[in-house]
Amino acid sequence: MDGGSLLLLVRAAGVSLLLAVAAVVSGTGLGIALAGLAFSGLAIVRAIYRAWVYVVRGMPVLVLALLVFYALPAMDLQTGPYVAGVLVLAIYVGALFAEVFRGGVLAIPRAQWESAKSLGLPPWAMLSKVVIPLVARYTLAPYVNVCVMTVKASSVLSIIGVWELTFAAREIIERTLAVFTVLGAAGALYFVLCFGIDRTGRWLERRLMARGFVGEPA
Amino acid sequence: MIEVRGLKKAFGGIPVLRGVDLEVADREVVALIGRSGCGKTTLLRCINFLEEYSEGEILLDGEPLWYRHGPRGRRRVSEAEARRMRQRMGVVFQQYNLFPHMTALENVSLGPRYSQGLPRAEAEALGRRFLERVGLGDKLHAYPAQLSGGQQQRVAIARALAMRPRVLLLDEITSALDPELVGEVEDVIRSLLAEPIMMILVTHALRFAREIAHRIAYMSDGQIAEIGPPEQILESPRDPTLKEFLRRMR
Repeated sequence: MDGGSLLLLVRAAGVSLLLAVAAVVSGTGLGIALAGLAFSGLAIVRAIYRAWVYVVRGMPVLVLALLVFYALPAMDLQTGPYVAGVLVLAIYVGALFAEVFRGGVLAIPRAQWESAKSLGLPPWAMLSKVVIPLVARYTLAPYVNVCVMTVKASSVLSIIGVWELTFAAREIIERTLAVFTVLGAAGALYFVLCFGIDRTGRWLERRLMARGFVGEPA
Repeated sequence: MIEVRGLKKAFGGIPVLRGVDLEVADREVVALIGRSGCGKTTLLRCINFLEEYSEGEILLDGEPLWYRHGPRGRRRVSEAEARRMRQRMGVVFQQYNLFPHMTALENVSLGPRYSQGLPRAEAEALGRRFLERVGLGDKLHAYPAQLSGGQQQRVAIARALAMRPRVLLLDEITSALDPELVGEVEDVIRSLLAEPIMMILVTHALRFAREIAHRIAYMSDGQIAEIGPPEQILESPRDPTLKEFLRRMR
């Protein structure tokens, strides 16, 4: 494989990373909002949450991508492939994040709720000082896991015309026919991205541990 | 003072409290003893409304707590009111229940800062003062995981005290501790006897109850079966189940 092709792949990997970052950021927001629904006092709202998560989680990303790709123009929304692509990924990982966060809230020991309650903490202080910090620590590992999945899921977007790592690899293969070299290089680049995310997660975990939090239920 | 009148509560149809009456005077210390399952912890939790109860009333300095009686019957007070009422009571739990992601100082100043709305500097000064009060002035910035059980429980006591409550509710606060750490926690409680504060403690430590309580209440089967000064309860009990209980505890 020539240097030009390799450079192209590296640039495409950068696009994949950007797509994943955009999807993780918006998916996190969506996940928090969804997880909020899961704890609603209204049964109908909780039912909507469950239905949404089951549908999105039960659908292959590829099908979701095609659905969004055709649905947006049908709704007269001309977004172009990148916005559509980020939307697909955000919807997909939003549902996964929601379940991660819901699990994190459920993992807060009853004793912690009671401590906060007996201090008479108002709701916003309860949320910002107790619930969110604890959930963030409980869910760090599964959260990083979903981030890694997001990078890999972004490869599906090549099917709706998003120029990213897999798309670029296919372009170069069509030109050079060097199937294994190019796919090997693309795979290696995906690995580097995912490995980097994983290491960042571990580093964060260690930092939090160093601050006295060992992750045990207190 | 605290007045508990005719308190009743059931868990899934099984009565746990069958009409409890108890009065605690200002500065009084009352120890609740009894077999496990007799309802003593439930009573303590009802007083702070960590458990709801179906009948009866609880008054603090004459103010009825937790429920209001209106034209449409009995209903819970609003969350905001419940928070205001809870701020007048401090609770210390068996398992300390400190917030693991906060230092000792942050744990203790959290309530004053956010429940009582004190400025940060004031809340922290209060936190320091109460941590020093329990002998942990040198552990302000330690996280719970870096402290021993006894130290964690002292932080928990400081956290409850920092709200400057009228009453302190202590739920078997030394039961989870290694024997050699019990003394330091008991010392802190002992030092509070000089303060103008009421205490209700659930305990299995009869020796300690005898030493610090003005009265001991023996609970059996969801009721206070016998109550009186420690010597009377521990040395000349009348209730046959209390006699049996004391015999087993020796």
